[in-house]
Amino acid sequence: MVQSILKRIAQTVLVLFCVALLIFVLLRIVPGNAVVTMMGEHADTDAIARMTAELGLDQPVYVQFWKYISGAVTGDLGTSYSLNHSVSSLMAAAFPHTLILALLAAAVAWTVGILCGVGAAVKKNGAADRLFMGFSLLGVSMPVFIVAMLLQYLLAYKLNWFPLSGTDSFAGYILPAIALGWNSAGSVARLTRSTLAEALSQDYIDTARAKGLGGRAVVWRHALRNAMLPVITLMAVQLSSLLSGAVICETVFSVNGLGRLAVQAISARDIPLLQGTVLFSTVLVILGNLTADCLYAVLDPRIRKEA
Amino acid sequence: MKKFLAFLLALTLICALAACGTAANPGAGGSGTVEAGTLRVAALYDITTMDVAQTTDNYMVPMNVFDRLFEVEVQSDGSSKVVPSLCTDYTVSGDGLTYTFTLRDGVVFSNGSALTASDVQYTFERLLTAGGVNDDVPLEVLGGEALKNGEAQSLEGFKVIDDTHFSITLAAPNAGFVAELTGPGVSIVDAETMAKVKNFGKDCADTIGTGPYVITEWVPNDHYTLVYNEKYWGKKPSVTKVIVSIVPDASTQNLLYQKGELDILDLESLDSTIVQSTYKTTYADKLVVAPRVGLTYLAMNENNKYLSDVSVRKAVQMAVDVNAIISSVYGGDAVAEAGIIPTGVWGHNDALQRVSCDPAGAKALLEKAGYADGEVKFELSMDSSATSSTQLVYQIVAEQLKAAGITAEIKSYDDSSWLDLRKSGEMDAFIANWTMDYNDPANIMYTFFGSPDKTKLRSLNFADTAVMARVAAASAITDDSARMTEYQALEKIIVSDDAAWVPLFENTHLFALGDRVSAFVPYWAGYSNFYAKDVTLK
Repeated sequence: MVQSILKRIAQTVLVLFCVALLIFVLLRIVPGNAVVTMMGEHADTDAIARMTAELGLDQPVYVQFWKYISGAVTGDLGTSYSLNHSVSSLMAAAFPHTLILALLAAAVAWTVGILCGVGAAVKKNGAADRLFMGFSLLGVSMPVFIVAMLLQYLLAYKLNWFPLSGTDSFAGYILPAIALGWNSAGSVARLTRSTLAEALSQDYIDTARAKGLGGRAVVWRHALRNAMLPVITLMAVQLSSLLSGAVICETVFSVNGLGRLAVQAISARDIPLLQGTVLFSTVLVILGNLTADCLYAVLDPRIRKEA
Repeated sequence: MKKFLAFLLALTLICALAACGTAANPGAGGSGTVEAGTLRVAALYDITTMDVAQTTDNYMVPMNVFDRLFEVEVQSDGSSKVVPSLCTDYTVSGDGLTYTFTLRDGVVFSNGSALTASDVQYTFERLLTAGGVNDDVPLEVLGGEALKNGEAQSLEGFKVIDDTHFSITLAAPNAGFVAELTGPGVSIVDAETMAKVKNFGKDCADTIGTGPYVITEWVPNDHYTLVYNEKYWGKKPSVTKVIVSIVPDASTQNLLYQKGELDILDLESLDSTIVQSTYKTTYADKLVVAPRVGLTYLAMNENNKYLSDVSVRKAVQMAVDVNAIISSVYGGDAVAEAGIIPTGVWGHNDALQRVSCDPAGAKALLEKAGYADGEVKFELSMDSSATSSTQLVYQIVAEQLKAAGITAEIKSYDDSSWLDLRKSGEMDAFIANWTMDYNDPANIMYTFFGSPDKTKLRSLNFADTAVMARVAAASAITDDSARMTEYQALEKIIVSDDAAWVPLFENTHLFALGDRVSAFVPYWAGYSNFYAKDVTLK
């Protein structure tokens, strides 16, 4: 197991290098100029040239890339062109907001998704199945911004239960988390329903029932545990994705997270900031997958044995 | 399953604990009572720097933390006039070249350092050597070009007489020079402080001015806070603290205002249907109306295959029905413009007639010029970050052109690409807005038609160098009447004869006031940024 994790970490370094290179090249291919955007339409060509030189953007691309990589290895991700702060400090300020939002959204998604999925599988093809699946699929079908704006209008503006915007209290995270979580819950519910329904049709379930186990124990202790492996993979991917930033929810609810930071970086052609956010997101995705692999081993003794 | 539930509970607790450690946005969306003297406003975008030598994008901090030598004051009749600020008086030499200024006595920066003439000199020189985006004014001073190009060590035309007196000699006479000194781009900084600090414009503690406020906090992408400067030389304002929250969604700003969590709402970014249906009705008594002194225009690139032909440009002018745009998009809240110098700016020509909307006439003109129906095509490039109203204007203009047999294909670019393409001089056509920096026609005439560099920079590629020379020379005319006559003659040549661009309209800028605000005077040019000292709280 440890050997497998070490191998993954070695692969991660290679992946990060490739991602950094790809972003670096892509940002130089697409139209748009970071310095022009930063200085605005008033800046004359001399001023743009001077700022380009100050930022080192007049140097050959390989020199720029080498400088970036050597800085990144030591933890220096450069300074944001558009926000004039170090990329590390901007990301450090934004990440806690994204982390809370992602964890809460994941909690919503997994709770709703698993409960709906189990309910639907147990009452397969019945009215409850349609109700649970309808509810969870509504979340995945409705655009996040619509859900976000509806929740904002009803629960924050009309009923005054939550703040409209901002994260000056924990309550500020709840509406965006519900909007994001409901959106992710549909996929979890569908997968849980199908894998659990399949597990419930297996012989060992009949055996468990024959031994006199109650319905709940059969479903939650025996069938669900075996059905969860693919669901866990999905959950890990969802969590990685949520941690990379949820642009729309962060915008509607003014959450100062990684998603808004990344969009700002793209819009301003802010190369260091974009590279920082993308690299960080890549690490999160890799970590998410690694966590899923580890959880497999925890849940399934066969995998533990193979590893 | 118990383990799973326990995991979820733990997750929630982690979130709650983490929430305790995150930065709080104390402005919009904040709960509880509001501290007396506090003004809560929202902005769609964060500032990038507080240094006017580095940006022209957002002046909220410079306008409130720094002072200018002169300011523009809005009069009770809505007109504006230049009034003393850090300078109390000035004289001009007979040849119109040398200005001698007197600084106000006893002014100190917020760190206690005294304002002297050397600080003004430093400010002018720094704009030339450290900036590049607000150097128009110091470039007019004798030796400005040489200092900028590194051929001189100081600004030849700037002489410090004593601590409170200095003179500025211009390279050429400019009747609008004092008006130019009112622009936020010429905010005065402290030479002594600048020698000590490392992050001027980036760190709050390093960004020191003489203005009514000091910036005490800037949390990127979240909020920034301005607090009253106890050392301010002027009258203590009603607002002693300003919290500017970054709320990137206009509809969220709308709800925040309606819930009473914003004290002033800028309606510019809000969908015009909401403005018309809600703010013009329910909140009609809360609205403050200010002209956005400037011009929304359609620029046409004369290097384009079709737009290089004056007949095509005239056809475009004839095809656009500005009044239809004003009524359908802005509910009548704009003024149709006929020329280059907008309403409210000295030199504006009321008598100039707008080209009448005549799609059939436009078609006939194109036919006469030898173009087949539908042959004339060009790209109408749009910045994807344009407001919903501006995007609607693009669509209506394209439809109106289509009715005249002209195909204008709207193509949307992200902010950076749009600006880059525009500056390359290769954009076919676009619609944009120019808001005046100072109340003088040179600000718009020279910026757009003053030199080949200027016209290329704005993707116009206007080709008449004789007209450009006259535009550049007009600012040196010291006789007001003669200068106005010259500008109006040039305006006629550019817009009516050469049809170099299509003037559209001057917007009206609406602000909605919250219950805590009793009075608000927007900046004379109708910027979204404003002087917080011009807000009175109940």
